Amino acid sequence: MSRPQTQIERILSRHSTESPGAPVEPEDFVEVEVDRLVLLDMAATHPEFLAHLPHRVHRPERVAWVFDHLIPPPTVELASGLRKLRELAAAWGITNVWDIGRGGISHPLMAERGWVRPGEILANTDSHTCAAGALGCAGRGVGMLEVMNILCTGRTWYRVGETVRASLAGRLPPGVSGKDVFLTLARDHGAIPGQNLEFAGDGVAALPIPTRQAIATMCAEISAEFALFPPDDRALDYVRARLPAGEPLAPVRADPEASFAAEWSVDLDRVEPLVALPHRVARNVRPVAEMTSVPITRAVVGSCANGTIEDLEAVAAVLHGRRVHPDVVFTVTPTTSEVMAEAARRGLVERILTAGALVTNPTCGACFGGHMGVLGDGEVCVTSTTRNFQGRMGSPNAKIYLASSATVAASAVTGHLTDPREILGGDRP
Amino acid sequence: MKLVGRAWVFEDDINTDLLYPAACFRLPAAERPRLTMSANRPGWSAEVRPGDLVIAGANFGTGSSRPAADNLKGLGVAGVVADSINGLFFRTAVNTGLPVLEAPGVRAFVREGATVEVDLDTGTIRSEGRELRVRPLPPFLSRILADGGLVPRLRNEGYID
Ligand code: SF4
Repeated sequence: MSRPQTQIERILSRHSTESPGAPVEPEDFVEVEVDRLVLLDMAATHPEFLAHLPHRVHRPERVAWVFDHLIPPPTVELASGLRKLRELAAAWGITNVWDIGRGGISHPLMAERGWVRPGEILANTDSHTCAAGALGCAGRGVGMLEVMNILCTGRTWYRVGETVRASLAGRLPPGVSGKDVFLTLARDHGAIPGQNLEFAGDGVAALPIPTRQAIATMCAEISAEFALFPPDDRALDYVRARLPAGEPLAPVRADPEASFAAEWSVDLDRVEPLVALPHRVARNVRPVAEMTSVPITRAVVGSCANGTIEDLEAVAAVLHGRRVHPDVVFTVTPTTSEVMAEAARRGLVERILTAGALVTNPTCGACFGGHMGVLGDGEVCVTSTTRNFQGRMGSPNAKIYLASSATVAASAVTGHLTDPREILGGDRP
Repeated sequence: MKLVGRAWVFEDDINTDLLYPAACFRLPAAERPRLTMSANRPGWSAEVRPGDLVIAGANFGTGSSRPAADNLKGLGVAGVVADSINGLFFRTAVNTGLPVLEAPGVRAFVREGATVEVDLDTGTIRSEGRELRVRPLPPFLSRILADGGLVPRLRNEGYID
């Protein structure tokens, strides 16, 4: 009998071009067929792509083009670049173009639109494509050059990494979120370049999809290759609700006897609000409650990881009946147009605006220091986006603290890093 | 593929925002490499010479999909050898035609300024009379490097001009 396989090994094995279904193991290189490919507006800034355009595109119906990083375009050059991309999409027969105002940030958008499916392989230029793992889909950022390869051939390769299993038990307490679960892993285990992460345990079932997405997305920050949740009923229901009735799914689970390179465990009941300090994430994490002496000038909620309806609810709950501190500028960026519309319907946008925070259009914007509020020299920012690297959000002389959306909102109210339970605690009857 | 060059030694967790700061996106391609690691090691991009090697600790290249390898290549860096390397950076480097090798222990093994010899296909690293053996680069990836990266390969195969 062949060796039992992990979830990612089974997905890669199934997609192998050379011997589909044959077992794979760590250190193998597997060439695979890619199920779906996502291109971004950043293609407009890639000189080599623009200089060497593919003559034709492999299966254009399986290619999506999402404008998210540079929207709305802040410069003439970028606006012209986006026009060029629209022409290319038309010439290549790519009709799945999510243009400005009709989409959002690629990772949550693709999930929202049924392009993230369990058991499939999804490729995208962008490093946070591991977000797809929340739905049991093998997503991995591959960079623009590899995307050119997939556009031409429909194929790519992966080195099979060892897999770590993270078992989750219990339930998250109020005021604590998926971001804090991720920060717990980053604090306790650090980076795992080349390895995969698979989540398991009876704590998974109760986690809402946006919470899983926040965790899976952030696993890019510990250099995980793939970060997969099991495709349980909650995940399958989420996906089915976004597909035409009867569309078949082919979810993949780990073999029950699969062995792992390491076993981690997280007791969700004991997770507390955490913050990653400037300028790196792995093993650079402290409890928020110990950092309250840090004053802030900027607060940001958003990004592919933490601009979901769950995040906007958390922000509105903290801001309810309070005001943003006069020394703080607080911006909130929903992930997608659908999330923004839902936030408007639920009255969240109004609550955030009346507290003195700004709600922007869905975009990557400030997360990568592109536009929509970059940091100036000497600023101190607390953000629920994805990275706290030096210079990431603007000036290299700014400091970035990475935390959950609830922690960001609580800090925006007090003007210094603040454990959200301190504020929300007062709301309890 | 063999490399011989002078070593620059860097710490753990050198990320893509250090290798390729966001300001690069607003500069013409030729002016981008001089910003390489300007935040963590100001002045380095002026000191590094073509043929030099970057040696680093764990998790080199962690971060985004930006074309960070372009900057190192633009400075003439002949290759990167690190204790461990982020998978996305690793792929981008190979696709860019920049030789890379994961070599656990290399950061402690190499002294900054020393001459280092790297054989990617046998996984042998020599410096100052000592030798470190690691897993070699798989032939599959050596071939992409030998082609000069992905663009020449796709051109040879007739997919692009
Ligand atoms: S929101 Fe930030 S991390 Fe996510 S894709 Fe955009 S720039 Fe990258």
